[in-house]
Amino acid sequence: MAQRPLSLILARNLLASISTPGFLVDGTGVLVFYNEAAGSLLGAQFEETGKLSPEEWGRMFGPFGDDGEPIPWDRLPLTQDLRADRPSHSTFTIRGVSGVEHEIEMSALPLVTAEGFTGALAIFWTRGESQG
Amino acid sequence: MKVKVWGARGSVPAPGPETAGYGGNTSCVQITAEDGTEVVLDAGTGIRGLGLALQSEAPRVNILLTHLHLDHIQGLMFFAPAFQPASELLIWGPSAPEATLQDRIARYISAPLTPVEVRELPCSVAFLDAPDSEWRIGPLTVRSASVAHRGPTLGFRVSEGDASVAYIPDHEPALGAPLDDLEDEWISGIDLARGASILIHDAQYTDDEYPQKIGWGHSALSDTLTFARRAEAQRLLLFHHDPMHSDGVLDAMAETAASRWEELGGEPGSVEMAVELEELSLEPARR
Repeated sequence: MAQRPLSLILARNLLASISTPGFLVDGTGVLVFYNEAAGSLLGAQFEETGKLSPEEWGRMFGPFGDDGEPIPWDRLPLTQDLRADRPSHSTFTIRGVSGVEHEIEMSALPLVTAEGFTGALAIFWTRGESQG
Repeated sequence: MKVKVWGARGSVPAPGPETAGYGGNTSCVQITAEDGTEVVLDAGTGIRGLGLALQSEAPRVNILLTHLHLDHIQGLMFFAPAFQPASELLIWGPSAPEATLQDRIARYISAPLTPVEVRELPCSVAFLDAPDSEWRIGPLTVRSASVAHRGPTLGFRVSEGDASVAYIPDHEPALGAPLDDLEDEWISGIDLARGASILIHDAQYTDDEYPQKIGWGHSALSDTLTFARRAEAQRLLLFHHDPMHSDGVLDAMAETAASRWEELGGEPGSVEMAVELEELSLEPARR
């Protein structure tokens, strides 16, 4: 596979070096990396899941609406902000593979270079958890 | 295609008897195509000697700047063709959001740092953002890509036929993550270096020095060797020597490199320290 844009490479290296849960999506919305701290929360490390399309990560982890169904990723305000090259902050409910639901706050920033939008880096933290 | 090293030192010129063997001039490499087309990689102090060698030819020269740190542009003011009205200079470099390439270089070529301004140079000079795709300079194909260093920084790959030179003189691909843990797609610069006939790459620090220099934008010797093997470069020229490294230190690094290169499966004799005024010849096998 061709080398990824430098902005994504450096963002991945940053995420791999910190203990704040975080993930990285590419310019098409594919989840291309999440770090160990995020993996602990989700109940599955990136080495186990590998890359995930927006539909795959939505199905596996959410975010979920009040009806318990995954919210389509392209309808999330966060996605719309990032597509407009704006940072975003949101509160979501996600679900780990064990079924535990976590209410999280997420801050995401678009990675924009001279070549345009190359992806987004998001960090998040829990506000609470419940058995889903 | 011919390759000549005019400066292999990093950071700051390091003249003196302790560095006379490998040379003290900063980054500059000349590439001459079979038809005589000249491409110069970086304009460190080594470019002064190159300019004197070219002086009688009133040349058209393409200068490819990886970035604008002083050790890569300091020689521009002392490049003889820049002061010849018949010369034509095409200076390519990384784009940056805050100012044009010319304006950024003019911060150096202007008062009070220098006695002339860019607009006063008697040669014909053009400043061009290096494209994000391949482009041609005479018979040479040039490719650039952003690489991990401090500030906007490019690496270049210059090819003629099947012969290719990858030039990544300032590079820290292992920043934040051991190279052994990464898939190729996550390694800065690897597409530029892949299968290159010669890879000219940063190897500024010994492995013992590197922990104190993490994030400075340069590589430890072992990381450079690993990077080159991952890229399957055919030959590796270790470059951007630390100004604190005497010939003796560089000799020792060369021995370590040769031994580790073989341990990593590299062909014996295909890794060496870059030496000022060293000339290499690449025979292009035409497709």
